[in-house]
Amino acid sequence: MKLGDLFYETWHALAANKGRSFLTILGIVIGITAVIAMTSLIAGVQNMLMGELGLSQARQVSISAYTSTGMTFEDLDKLKAGMPDYEILTGSAYASAEITLADGQKSYFSLIGVRPDYFAANGSRLKEGRFFTDSEERNGARLIVVNGDFGLQLFGSADVDMLGKSVRLGNDDYTIVGVLETSSFMGGAPLFVPFTTAQTRLDGERSISQIVGFAREDTDMEQLVESTRDYVARYLNVEPENVGVYSLDSAIKQLETTIASFSLLMGAVASISLFVGGIGIMNMMLTNVTERIREIGLRKSLGARRRDITKQFLLEAIMLCVTGGVFGIVFGFAAAWGLSGVVGAVQPGMSLTPVLAPEVVAGAVGVCVAIGIVFGYYPARRAAKLDPVESLRYQ
Amino acid sequence: MPKVVEAYDLHRIYESASGFTHALRGVSLAVEQGEFLAIMGPSGSGKSTLMNLLGCLDTPTRGRYLLEGVDVAAYREDELAEVRATRLGFVFQSFNLLPRATVLRNVMLPLVYTACPRKERELRARAALRSVSLDERLYDHRSNELSGGQMQRVAIARALVNNPALILADEPTGNLDTATGEMVLETFSRLRDQGKTIILITHEPDVAAHADRVIHIRDGRQWNANGTAPVVVPAAPAAPAPAPIAQPGGSQ
Repeated sequence: MKLGDLFYETWHALAANKGRSFLTILGIVIGITAVIAMTSLIAGVQNMLMGELGLSQARQVSISAYTSTGMTFEDLDKLKAGMPDYEILTGSAYASAEITLADGQKSYFSLIGVRPDYFAANGSRLKEGRFFTDSEERNGARLIVVNGDFGLQLFGSADVDMLGKSVRLGNDDYTIVGVLETSSFMGGAPLFVPFTTAQTRLDGERSISQIVGFAREDTDMEQLVESTRDYVARYLNVEPENVGVYSLDSAIKQLETTIASFSLLMGAVASISLFVGGIGIMNMMLTNVTERIREIGLRKSLGARRRDITKQFLLEAIMLCVTGGVFGIVFGFAAAWGLSGVVGAVQPGMSLTPVLAPEVVAGAVGVCVAIGIVFGYYPARRAAKLDPVESLRYQ
Repeated sequence: MPKVVEAYDLHRIYESASGFTHALRGVSLAVEQGEFLAIMGPSGSGKSTLMNLLGCLDTPTRGRYLLEGVDVAAYREDELAEVRATRLGFVFQSFNLLPRATVLRNVMLPLVYTACPRKERELRARAALRSVSLDERLYDHRSNELSGGQMQRVAIARALVNNPALILADEPTGNLDTATGEMVLETFSRLRDQGKTIILITHEPDVAAHADRVIHIRDGRQWNANGTAPVVVPAAPAAPAPAPIAQPGGSQ
């Protein structure tokens, strides 16, 4: 029996029982829908993380140390000299000032005093304008780099062009020289001022609250985290447990572990659905064989061999499963889009695009074929083993 | 004329929960090419068992069966399927057409199980349908839209399409009224005139009368035409080449 004939027969047999065929494949549809929705959402999340963080963020390290005296930039310079794996080692210090907001209200705001290399170490991207320079920092220039989504609070509109505008902090007017791109994940501080300015004019803390490092290319991040912890602990003469060192790289790895265990759970649920679906297919195929005993007898009398009958019924089961799989892929991807829409509505600025990888589609179809073979084989063999004489006489 | 069918001392014993049934107790027959033979007998006589053996749907418990000189009695299931696909054509009492498929598709169905290339199938199906004189406008109709007589002629065309050595018809007029049945039987006679070999099984003398020759079966044995005495079956000849056996009640 030729393959084309097999597909023709299969198509006609399934088309004759459309309603029943559809009900039968629901289990498969649901299982594949769950798998596809999950995988395309996860792929979307991963894409978003990678896209937002960029490769350079993997080289970022944040360090926090608990000491009685606190750390200064002088300490940082010494630390950096001892840790050549860092391209940048910088920090930020809190300050605060009274700001006059758009509605005329005065409010105390947290500011962050930084050196210019902080932006590079943090991977901040400018929407427009520039960062301040080293000399501006040293001279305590009255400049601000502002976070992109701060326009609403500061000027009463999210769309206002903030570049070049003046903001009154404390007793002085400051000029906005740079606007940062909004980052949904890093979020963070609204206003950055030069460290020296924060110290001298804005009542800034002398000690650094957060240390940010940026490793050189091709550094082993795990090892760097360890050696940094030891080095900083020795420098400050504290126990290593009192020094916190985190890299985004390890955070991403941890997230991936979480995603993997979540996938495993969803995969288990989907497998149960697919297994039940497979049993449904087997049930339908057994009914099918019983209903078509005379047809099987006829085909055998016309010269069909056992393997012709086996192939015909096996292909029917496979086609049922694959049809269910195709529906599942479509529904699953649609569901992923729906969910990402919900996420977007709940968390504005977080745009999640589901990703359907070709190998996932191929895998899903492969699983369906396998289910068809596993659960279709027994009914097909039963059909093939029917005796032609008895089948022809069957009422 | 070469013999299409040579059967010697065919026995068939069925085994079931209720014991053994000796359905066929030694039947021998020969059919020449181009012959139209009727096998007659009441229900339960064993004529259907004989037909199943001759049609390679079943194998004899004992005896030899040569189809076109080839001993098929010991063939395995798939080999028998091959024989059915290429050398035999069946016509059933209940037509056994695929109801949702078109007439053409039904007639082409046996060719699916042969090596016949797809391009050739429709040509052969149309030729077979022409030889049973079915209206060409019906070729694309579903088979369940046809009348009984039309359906049976489609079934005959299906039996013809692989150009078989032997056509077996099991009560082909059983589900038809007399006039329609007569038309179907005339179709068989015409095929016989074209050189086809046909074995028809029936319990009606009127139907058997269309054949060249009639064999009577009762209680699994062959009987004389007047039904008075069973035909003595000669001992099964030793393989390979049996001598032709006399056909009692024959009309050659």
